[in-house]
Amino acid sequence: MKKLTLTFVFALICSVSFANDKYEKAMLASIDKVYKAGTVEEYKNVINELERIGNAEKDKWEPHYYASFAYTKLASNSKLDDRDNYLDQAQEQLKKAMNLSKDNVELVALQGFIHTLRITVDPPTRGQLYSGLSIQEFQKARQLDPENPRALFLLGQVLYGTAQFMGTDTKDACALIAKSVQQFDQYNADNPLAPKWGKSSAQAAYQQCGR
Amino acid sequence: MENNHNALKFALVILAFLTVLPANAQTTVSGLILDHKQEPVIGANVYIKDTYDGASTDLDGQFAFHTNEMDSQILVVSAIGYETAELAITLAGEALTFEVTLKEAFNRLDAVTISAGSFSAGEDSKREVLKPLDIATTAGATADIAGALNTLPGTQTVGETGRLFVRGGAGNETKTFIDGMQVLSAYSPSFPNTATRGRFSPFMFSGTSFSTGGYSAEYGQALSSALILNTKDEATSNRGDISIMSVGLEGAYTHAWERSSFAGKLQYVNIAPYFGLIPQELDIEKAPESLDGNFAYRLKLNETDMLKVYTNFNHARLTSRVSDIDNPEQKTRIDLTNNYRYVNASYTDILNDQWSLRTGVSYTSNVDDIDLNQDQVREQERGGHVKWVLAYDHSERLSVSFGSDVFTRKYTQAYRTHETGRLDQLDFNESIVAGFGEMDFYFSNRFVTRFGLRTEHNTLNNQFNLAPRLSLGYKTSEHGQVALAYGQFHQTANNDLIRINNLLENEKADHYILNYQVIKSQRTFRVEVYHKQYRDLVKFDAADIFNPTAYNNAGNGYARGLDVFWRDAKTIKGLDYWVSYSYLDTERDFRDHPISAMPTFASKHNFSIVTKYFVNSIKTQVGATYSMASSRPFYNPNLPGFNQGRTRAFQDLSVNFSHLVNSFIILHGSVTNVFGFNNVFGYEYGNVRNEEGQFNRRAITQPAPRFIFVGLFITLAKDKSINQLPNL
Repeated sequence: MKKLTLTFVFALICSVSFANDKYEKAMLASIDKVYKAGTVEEYKNVINELERIGNAEKDKWEPHYYASFAYTKLASNSKLDDRDNYLDQAQEQLKKAMNLSKDNVELVALQGFIHTLRITVDPPTRGQLYSGLSIQEFQKARQLDPENPRALFLLGQVLYGTAQFMGTDTKDACALIAKSVQQFDQYNADNPLAPKWGKSSAQAAYQQCGR
Repeated sequence: MENNHNALKFALVILAFLTVLPANAQTTVSGLILDHKQEPVIGANVYIKDTYDGASTDLDGQFAFHTNEMDSQILVVSAIGYETAELAITLAGEALTFEVTLKEAFNRLDAVTISAGSFSAGEDSKREVLKPLDIATTAGATADIAGALNTLPGTQTVGETGRLFVRGGAGNETKTFIDGMQVLSAYSPSFPNTATRGRFSPFMFSGTSFSTGGYSAEYGQALSSALILNTKDEATSNRGDISIMSVGLEGAYTHAWERSSFAGKLQYVNIAPYFGLIPQELDIEKAPESLDGNFAYRLKLNETDMLKVYTNFNHARLTSRVSDIDNPEQKTRIDLTNNYRYVNASYTDILNDQWSLRTGVSYTSNVDDIDLNQDQVREQERGGHVKWVLAYDHSERLSVSFGSDVFTRKYTQAYRTHETGRLDQLDFNESIVAGFGEMDFYFSNRFVTRFGLRTEHNTLNNQFNLAPRLSLGYKTSEHGQVALAYGQFHQTANNDLIRINNLLENEKADHYILNYQVIKSQRTFRVEVYHKQYRDLVKFDAADIFNPTAYNNAGNGYARGLDVFWRDAKTIKGLDYWVSYSYLDTERDFRDHPISAMPTFASKHNFSIVTKYFVNSIKTQVGATYSMASSRPFYNPNLPGFNQGRTRAFQDLSVNFSHLVNSFIILHGSVTNVFGFNNVFGYEYGNVRNEEGQFNRRAITQPAPRFIFVGLFITLAKDKSINQLPNL
């Protein structure tokens, strides 16, 4: 009996680690494609890839998170007319991820980022509603993890844009961006699939602040 | 030890089996994915269910991938905009080829809409013709809802009232609803023959739907038009606002809790200092002075269920003198005090995925106390409205809603003659019980039908009526659609008629509308033709207006025309403009008309152009509106015929600006009729012939050539990104 149990447990451990390895390998490849994607076709291909992984791995939030992130990247690089459609897709993927992982700082931060991108479609009409919504999400993200550099940078970015539009001092926003650059250097996620994006944008924004 | 050794061996075998297996049998799966038009679907996701194995289709709809899976599997084909297809396949190492045709998925968001007769302003920029902000920033409107909507096609400029006159309909044929509930007396009091303003600030609403005809069976008691205003949801942050305006002061405070919010606003308006600076062609004893309060409470019971309570009170007083046309020295002093209360509570409950419930209650009390040369007139109208609507979404394609309404209204006018002390009273009590049902069915993404039916029973005249409504929409291209609407509409005769004869029948109108619109990337083009047939209009004998038997429902009329709308926010960066043109052909035999004639509130041609331009470098939005209306009829008793006189055409150029002083202060200014066109809206005639045997007349004109407004709007909020900009 003991023998059988041990065998079973061992076999299970082997197969789980084997599955994990396969998942991680596939995800790392896809994530790399998300970061490098440039054309609509490249985005579509990697999003489909992530959807396949997400459909097979029913308890993993990362595939949906990266599919959502890919859609936000695609949205920010596309024409205004297409942006809402892509953001709708991003929102749908993010919802799937949120159902699998509650109070996840990265998901909350991405939610804020989707709201920020909604503003860009029609700033005069959407400015107030969506800047409020995105600030709320970034602040929620910071409460969940004060060390997360993305939440901090994205918050700084929205406040910078607002201050610039209003013609007011960007000092406070720049202080947040500067702090986020520091946090990007220090931040170490234990999960190899953890998001790593935002650092170069934060540095570029920091440069802009210096001017 | 032996046991463990065996276990390890067993595990290693499994592991080897798992890793070795893939190398043994690999199947190539390839093929072509087409849509219902046999055109390739690009970017479809084709894969083996519950595996990572799959591929995207290329520009030719082709895909190919390898899989190590074996035996019976399911091939999934999914693509945005199409129904997902699943195929049972058997993998055995031999290459497989498939051709799959996908069915178009039905999606209401991309489907055709019911657009005939309706202009909506909402936050969804894809399909809205107007945005909430547009109402507030239209030059010439001075942040009045009716003022802004008067720049849309289908409306007629009737400068001496400031109300909405829609497609040859009189002012009372447009009804206002807040969160689906009726509002009585939606306009503030004003001097005789001067423009009024709506009682409700556009800033309260997140969505506005202005129907110029053919509207939903949920709404009744409006012959021409329904103005449906939806209040904002719960506030999410605390803020305070102070406004200092050339006509008064305003303070507002909003407090947000986790699931609820409260917003209160107090406004004090006194136009006396303004009238002191800018003389008016009116004999004013007391310029309008008013105190107005608005309170809104919202409670979000859960993600979907919301309770909204809104209340408004207003106290206003104004006094003027109107001279007699035949004897200018003889003046009538009109001292008007108005007390208004409005309460509205609505509750939305999403019962489950398919059923939802909306209920509401509203109550209006409007009391005018008028001192007419010491004669005391008290006119009161109190009305309640209760409604429930159940909506059932059978599927994406089919939804049904039904519900009922009860309206009750009590009206009295008490007239006490000063000299004799005699009291005359006119009154009526009306209850209307209504039931309605509506069904939306989408045959496809391109074709939708809406069939509705409304029944009403009116206790006053004991009339029962059945009003069918029908709308069709057909998408002709990705961005264009045609729509057709038909509807029957009933309305109780106006208060000043029914109070004399309580048994008057309902007035009726039939609408026929054909619409074509294209909305594409910040450009909108719309054209609509319509025919409206009026029946059972009230007629009376002008010489015998207090005699109930001098009233009947023998009147009729028609209105037909063409409305064109063009909006473009794209061609010139920063410039947003819209152009409206309305052609109207109308005649009526109603009220005291001896024959069928064009009514005095109608004009054949109405044209307006609204422009808005944001100057980024100075953080200022500037706007200008030009409106033109062709001549209006008036009755000239010195000539043969009826309504045979014509005023000169109406013209107005108004400008405004909003300047962002800093992130929490906005300076706003506006001037109407910059060039001071001397517009004449009509003429009033005396009752006796003068020495030349003619009746004397007096022109109905603007009280002053221009109206100038300046205001400073200050926001006090923790969150610096919030200011009143969206309000201006």
